[in-house]
Amino acid sequence: MQTFDAHPFDPPDGVPTLRREVRDFIAREAPKSDAASRANCWAVCDADFSKAMGKAGYIGMTWPVEYGGHARHPLHRYVVLEELLAAGAPVGMHWIADRQSGPLLLRYGTEEQRRTHLPSIAAGETYVCIGMSEPGAGSDLASIRTQGVRDGDGWRISGQKVWTTNAHNAQLMIALVRTVEGSQRNEGLTQFLIPLDTPGVTVRPIIDLVGGHDFNEVFLDDVHVPDSARVGPEGNGWKQVTAELSLERSGPERYLSSYAALVELIRFAGPDPEPVLAVLIGRLTAELWTLRQMSQSTAAKLAAGEDPALEAAIVKDLGNSFEQELPRAIQAALDGAEDLSAATDLTRVLALLLQVSPSFSLRGGTREILRGIIARGLGLR
Amino acid sequence: MSETRTLLTDTADRLFTDLAAHPDAPFAEVWPSIAEAGFESLLLGEDEGGFGGDWGDLFAVARLAGSHALAAPVGEAAVAAWALTRAGLTPAEGLATIAPAVDGCVENGRFTGSLKATPWGGAAQTVVATHAGSLLRLQTTDCRIESGHSPVGEPRDTLTFEGAVAEAAPSDIDLLACGAFLRTAQIAGALDAALAASIAYANERVQFGKPISKFQTVQQTLAIFAIEAAAVNSAGQAAARAADAGVADFEFAAAKLRANIAAGQGAALAHQVHGAIGFTQEHPLHRLTRRLAGWRSEFGSDRFWAQRLGRRVAGLGPDGLWPELARRSDAA
Repeated sequence: MQTFDAHPFDPPDGVPTLRREVRDFIAREAPKSDAASRANCWAVCDADFSKAMGKAGYIGMTWPVEYGGHARHPLHRYVVLEELLAAGAPVGMHWIADRQSGPLLLRYGTEEQRRTHLPSIAAGETYVCIGMSEPGAGSDLASIRTQGVRDGDGWRISGQKVWTTNAHNAQLMIALVRTVEGSQRNEGLTQFLIPLDTPGVTVRPIIDLVGGHDFNEVFLDDVHVPDSARVGPEGNGWKQVTAELSLERSGPERYLSSYAALVELIRFAGPDPEPVLAVLIGRLTAELWTLRQMSQSTAAKLAAGEDPALEAAIVKDLGNSFEQELPRAIQAALDGAEDLSAATDLTRVLALLLQVSPSFSLRGGTREILRGIIARGLGLR
Repeated sequence: MSETRTLLTDTADRLFTDLAAHPDAPFAEVWPSIAEAGFESLLLGEDEGGFGGDWGDLFAVARLAGSHALAAPVGEAAVAAWALTRAGLTPAEGLATIAPAVDGCVENGRFTGSLKATPWGGAAQTVVATHAGSLLRLQTTDCRIESGHSPVGEPRDTLTFEGAVAEAAPSDIDLLACGAFLRTAQIAGALDAALAASIAYANERVQFGKPISKFQTVQQTLAIFAIEAAAVNSAGQAAARAADAGVADFEFAAAKLRANIAAGQGAALAHQVHGAIGFTQEHPLHRLTRRLAGWRSEFGSDRFWAQRLGRRVAGLGPDGLWPELARRSDAA
């Protein structure tokens, strides 16, 4: 057996030029920020920056031009994303729509849905949240209970979604709903595109442990939507959400969330670091470099039309472990003079990451679920 | 995978499988079949009488050697032949190997000093070493051999020379890094083989009325193992690709360091899953895990490569690491 057969990352020509363009764009458009706000930057929302990205053609890069996209190669898109994340640019506002919702609508949406929503998503003006988790359905997503019932030409939807990232900023939610009453598990599920200003929708904030507001509860109380809000065939919801997962799991955001802390460590250590810091920088670099190869290889497989679900689970789990270990390892290597109350860039970014990094192995599939997927891939389940 | 690489790996897989069936065969009986198959000249051009292979081919063959726990310096011989040819030195006579560390000096074309922990140094006729910006070609007929062994019992000999004739040529070839690449490939293969053995064992071993592979805790252990093996296989293939595109000193360092970390963890997990039976002389697992234990230290420990890589990255400055990573891969 070979656990990982690398797929060469061979984008079309022009990558060095593209990198230069993106770096110039970031230097011009990204707000000047401190190290802590560059960490975990794909959860940092900035509508102005998203609009600037839309204008520059960096959202919906691979989508057809007729839907506001730019018909670029998927690996050129990958290059743009890794440059943005390495620079710590605030890409959170449009991230989910660009990564998942747009591709979902392209694949399963109606012509009307595509024409209505994709151009404004690509412009960085329409943001989308994902209505999957519910109070009783986290890792066990197939146990969702939000119910959709036929009502004349449309549907009435009732239930509750939770941990809905960015629902307070987004205009749209793509919700996974049970449309066959009493259906079991992953049967009878359908996706709907619900404008969040529809009567009956209530969004309430959930404040995280550092006081941040990313998550929300979304209550759906007899929400009426026309049948044209349905995404894909009735009962096809499970297949559609699982198809999104490889896109969601192997991107550069799965190993770069703590990169800002490595940058600050290198700054702190200086050009001639003491041995303990040199060893740490070397080890973190080797792990970062390896993860980049794995993520790029998986992106290349996706671009070639394969579904590398197993590789994607491996990249996400290893990447999340790295992102979580990085701030802990740096903290352990600093001497006592640098405690976390010190007001330096390094200690501030460490303090933030030490507190928020537990979420890295929860969002997008918990560590335990991913390892279960890997075990299935190994023939153990 | 290219057609020639498939041909090469099929040949290697068949031969190494046959040899693995007789793990205690004397080296003098093992080596001729490997030499006959031409693996020594893997990296030489076809006009040089070689296979015309690249570093990706060498990775594939050394990886298979690792997965079969092959007790022979296949990769060392291939790198030695390649280095001699690149530096314009006389080709090897008989078996050639590479020295990881040189302690000594060259004066007037004569070498005095020692080559430590040289793989199959005592069995080789020719030894190639990197010393002060030069490549040295030495003959073992001119040295004193002090036998040493890796944990699994492979020769790691110290060769001591006194005023021995040394052919030398200026060269930027870093044999320590090349050896690190070989060990990365072997670790990748051995981890995949130990993982496959662990999965097979977990599927057949019944406790509490069911195969232990059905317990979530065993599944999660094997998933962690697979992730580590995947990381090394990915790192090694990427390092080979970088070497085929140009200078791969950064990539060889990063890949060996990542492989070292995985070697320790993978060997431990393989034994944990195998339980007591994997701890016996009779069970073949130890042929892989004892090699993994040795390879982690050879051609650069964790600390060695971490320090070298860390100093280099620190020298790039805080805003220098990312552009360097991007530049290196864009050039590949």
